[in-house]
Amino acid sequence: MFIHILFILSATLTLAGAFGVLATKNIMHSCIFLLASLIGIAGLYATMGADFVAVTQIMVYVGGIVILMLFAVMLTGGKDFVSKAQNLLGLAPSMGNKFTYSMGLFVGLVFVLTNAKLLWSVAFSMSSNEVTEAYPSTVNELGHLLIKDHVLAFELSSVLLLGALVGAAIIARPRKQ
Amino acid sequence: MNQTLVSYLSQYTFFDSLLALFGNNQGVLTFVIYLVFVLIIVGMCATIGGLGTYAERKISADLQLRIGPNRVGPYGLLQFLADGVKMITKEDVMPNSADKFLFYLAPLLALIGVFATLAVLPFSSGLAMADLNVGIFYLIAISSLVGVAVFLGGYASNSKWSMLGGLRGASQIISYEIPVTISILAITLIAGGMSFGTIVGAQKGSPINWFIFHNPFTFIGFFVYFIGALAETNRAPFDLPEAESELVSGYHTEYTGMRFGFFALAEYIEVFVVCGVGAALFLGGGNLPLPIEIDIIPVQLAQFAIFMTKALLLYYVVIWVRWTFPRLRVDQLMSICWKYLTPIAIFNLVGCAIWVVVFNGHSVAQILGGH
Repeated sequence: MFIHILFILSATLTLAGAFGVLATKNIMHSCIFLLASLIGIAGLYATMGADFVAVTQIMVYVGGIVILMLFAVMLTGGKDFVSKAQNLLGLAPSMGNKFTYSMGLFVGLVFVLTNAKLLWSVAFSMSSNEVTEAYPSTVNELGHLLIKDHVLAFELSSVLLLGALVGAAIIARPRKQ
Repeated sequence: MNQTLVSYLSQYTFFDSLLALFGNNQGVLTFVIYLVFVLIIVGMCATIGGLGTYAERKISADLQLRIGPNRVGPYGLLQFLADGVKMITKEDVMPNSADKFLFYLAPLLALIGVFATLAVLPFSSGLAMADLNVGIFYLIAISSLVGVAVFLGGYASNSKWSMLGGLRGASQIISYEIPVTISILAITLIAGGMSFGTIVGAQKGSPINWFIFHNPFTFIGFFVYFIGALAETNRAPFDLPEAESELVSGYHTEYTGMRFGFFALAEYIEVFVVCGVGAALFLGGGNLPLPIEIDIIPVQLAQFAIFMTKALLLYYVVIWVRWTFPRLRVDQLMSICWKYLTPIAIFNLVGCAIWVVVFNGHSVAQILGGH
């Protein structure tokens, strides 16, 4: 019951935020709606018992990505980004045009069709009794998996991040005249 | 297992009668209990934030040989209520070319970010809204909302001063998150868990068991944490985002009335939260100095009192620091973070890791005591 209330709240936040991203014409407002949507997704993770993933979602997206987006938009002239793209049917959201909408529809259809079987079975096999209030910790398990089974992927991504850091430092370094 | 307030209360007998009162509907009762305690804790912390402004003015007055607020109530104690009433009745001015939506949203985001951190703050071993497995990680993550709010407040005001303040604030908060997080990581390494219950529970007994005295690295780590936390909450000597000599008032220059009040309140509550986290991580949290194992209500109250005392003492130090040190320059601020605090924090983390392996997790006191 309690967990269901939380699920409905998070799902509403996610969907409303996602709709807001598309519906607004101001790119800064889009960023903020995206923030709401990402927090909603973190809530969805939390209701499914993936506590570490939920918090990482907030850490990475709210604390990192969205601030980065805001910075990027602002430093490149936030206000001028009010979209002037043509509206589909004159009333649809304005952040795209006919091409992007039809592509989005196409991708969505492909996704739904390819996953229909899986989603169908999940949707009807889930009993509400499975959702309890206390979960075992996922942190220890995740740590073991990262260091043992998936150590290669872990190290590769850290090398990638190091490369990005060094690249940023080189670009930002003051040049000798 | 995640421990929550409800699962803690359910071990008492009065929980069953409460449950019967709600027609044995556990979900509704959970909701009601959370609602009541959220109101209590948020109200309490808002009062602490309000009294924080009073304490700030009174202590600064003491340090400067003045008297400070002394008209409203005994010793001027009710000054913050008078300020609140004044702020609510003030005109709510918005700049003409401000971004309305973001301008209204920013102070609320700051308050949401700070109030959300209260969910895991361990006031006592029972009175924590939720003792998450990822408690401290959650706290670090959710408090980054304040950074977004500071940035948005600066951007939406559409004023140069606000903008500079917001930029400085956001970059400062992001930068100082790194040494703070790394020094917290060292503590989770020793405690073997990220939940506040585990961390505080590992420091039971006399002050010698506190993590600040665990080994030399954690001792340094506490100061790294404290300095970084000062900067993260935009307190002097790191209050560059609102440096009044350069930026009028920084990101909340254009805010008036209660919207400004929200920013100020968020800052003062955040300082309290940061002090509480420092007390819980390094200074033993709400543990009684005596090894009492029984869990009754008076013990919980004593733990609560001890936790609050430690947190408020740190709060005093924060205010003391503000009125003692001059403000840094922007370049000094960044070089302190990246050239000093971050390397020291990484050194501490590696040192703690080695200590845990070599001495099998024992503290200095345990080694000297012959364990």
